[in-house]
Amino acid sequence: MNAAQRQPAEMKYEPLLQFEMEMGTFLSDWQHCDQLSTYMARMISHNRTDPLRHSNFFSSALNELLEVSFRGGSPEGRIGCAVYRQGPKERVKLSFPCPPGHQQFFREAVARTHRNDAYARYLDALSSDLGPSREVVLLDLAINFDAEIRLEEEAPPSITIIVDLPLEGIVS
Amino acid sequence: MLAAPFQAEFDANSQEFSFAGVIRPRSVDEIAHSISMFRNAIDEARGVLYINVKRLAQMNNTAFHAFSRVVLDACRTRSDIRFVVVTSSVVGWTERMFRHLGKIEPQIRVEVYDSKFYPGQSFVEDTSFIPILRTQTKMTWRHERKILPRHGMRPGIVMADICCGIGDFAVLVRKEFQPARIVALDHSKASLAYARDVAKNFGISDIEYSYGDASEMLLEDNQFDLVTCRHSLQIFNQPDLLLKELYRICKPGGRVYITNEKNSHCLGEPRAQSIQWTYNEVAKLFSHFEMDVELGPKSRRYLADAGFDDILVESFMVTNHDGDPQDFADVITAWENVYAGEMAVKRGDPAEFIERFRQGFRDHIFAALHPKGYAGWPIWAASGRKPL
Ligand SMILES: C[S@@+](CC[C@H](N)C(=O)[O-])C[C@H]1O[C@@H](n2cnc3c(N)ncnc32)[C@H](O)[C@@H]1O
Repeated sequence: MNAAQRQPAEMKYEPLLQFEMEMGTFLSDWQHCDQLSTYMARMISHNRTDPLRHSNFFSSALNELLEVSFRGGSPEGRIGCAVYRQGPKERVKLSFPCPPGHQQFFREAVARTHRNDAYARYLDALSSDLGPSREVVLLDLAINFDAEIRLEEEAPPSITIIVDLPLEGIVS
Repeated sequence: MLAAPFQAEFDANSQEFSFAGVIRPRSVDEIAHSISMFRNAIDEARGVLYINVKRLAQMNNTAFHAFSRVVLDACRTRSDIRFVVVTSSVVGWTERMFRHLGKIEPQIRVEVYDSKFYPGQSFVEDTSFIPILRTQTKMTWRHERKILPRHGMRPGIVMADICCGIGDFAVLVRKEFQPARIVALDHSKASLAYARDVAKNFGISDIEYSYGDASEMLLEDNQFDLVTCRHSLQIFNQPDLLLKELYRICKPGGRVYITNEKNSHCLGEPRAQSIQWTYNEVAKLFSHFEMDVELGPKSRRYLADAGFDDILVESFMVTNHDGDPQDFADVITAWENVYAGEMAVKRGDPAEFIERFRQGFRDHIFAALHPKGYAGWPIWAASGRKPL
């Protein structure tokens, strides 16, 4: 699919909610990940079939993404997070500044979520001694939340991760 | 914003380690204490260790990996031990995330705790209960709409109807009292689907219907001005557990409102004796399935034991004269179908018993539709205040 063909489908995602803040402020408190994901999840879930459970599920996924930006982001610049909806899916668009070279890591981690061995890699990571890497977190989203993940190319040092979450279908 | 605090506990008697609440640590060090507790529990355990995550609302990857590692390591060093991870169908991600552990180690089994909360569940969650609930609420509403304001109902409040069934009470309350928010929770998917359908047909989109287990809810503490729970304490084998949850989600100063029956006190004229015999048997039949449909007058005790104050108990009699006597007759027909047609059969009652059992319902209907007849169904409505 080329960009021109993709355009109309993308248009149908309607914006629900977004926040933007100084990355330095965001990084000043780990609790921001939990608080923002809980709050945003609650706001966007109120008109889902089962608001409570949708919100619980969505908060789980969003928190992991925010934690990725917390752990991998750099303090200069702004972090922005927007949630869109199309039918049973939510799209999370998360942009944040990261140190030079990190875009490449993200590109590889995202690519691995699309490979056939994604599940095997995920199980391997669970059984290995290392703590969860950002790759595992993305695999977790792909496997446990049926997320479709891609990167939007941006001028360094920013990175934009786009995650489509079909949670309404899983929850209800 | 109130997050449920994280809890990790070991019950040595049942060899059950349970995780509850929200745990999203930045690093493993923050949960070192729980991890070492978990390790010790495993060291102590013989045979099967249960890992209960039913009430685990949130756990990030950092914590999930850390706790998983402990279990996986134990599998490698202890061939004598088995793990059963008990997840809940309510918290969707736990089921999805924990099931992988069973794929890695055959010593780990992942179970979804779902049905069999209580013995009567299969009847109550069945679609055949829907007509009962529909006709019942129609009859009780006439009374409840008048008494509810005494129990804390007023416009603008935040309320929850727990064990909402097909949700008609929530719809009626919304129209009559205009609360600011209504959460309606039940564990019957069939009833919830019905409820959502009804709401949609009425163009109602602001009642939050949610699938959940009333004895382990995802709802946070101290949120609601009024928590209602109608005709449901009486169907749990442990009503005190349910009441504890209702108490937990109620705001200090808010109220919990419950309604219950005393089935043996259903009455009618003419044919009073046959009617009375049958309803005595109804109470026995329910108690066979560990449900106490005689609970109504015990409401005060239950509320007091759960820690409520300012307790208010009243009773009202739903009768064939409240409105169309046919409505009353429909309620009884629905009872007869489920109680005699399903529950008595399940208990293994002989045909002669069932016939006599049915006769009492028919006589009650006769009384209800008789021009000079009287038929009654008593309800106890009670509420208590959660102390400030
Ligand atoms: C007798 S009905 C009453 C329904 C409704 N309140 C009414 O008055 O019409 C009991 C309800 O409790 C629900 N229920 C039973 N166990 C439950 C549980 N563990 N969690 C949530 N709901 C439950 C059943 O599905 C059923 O809808």
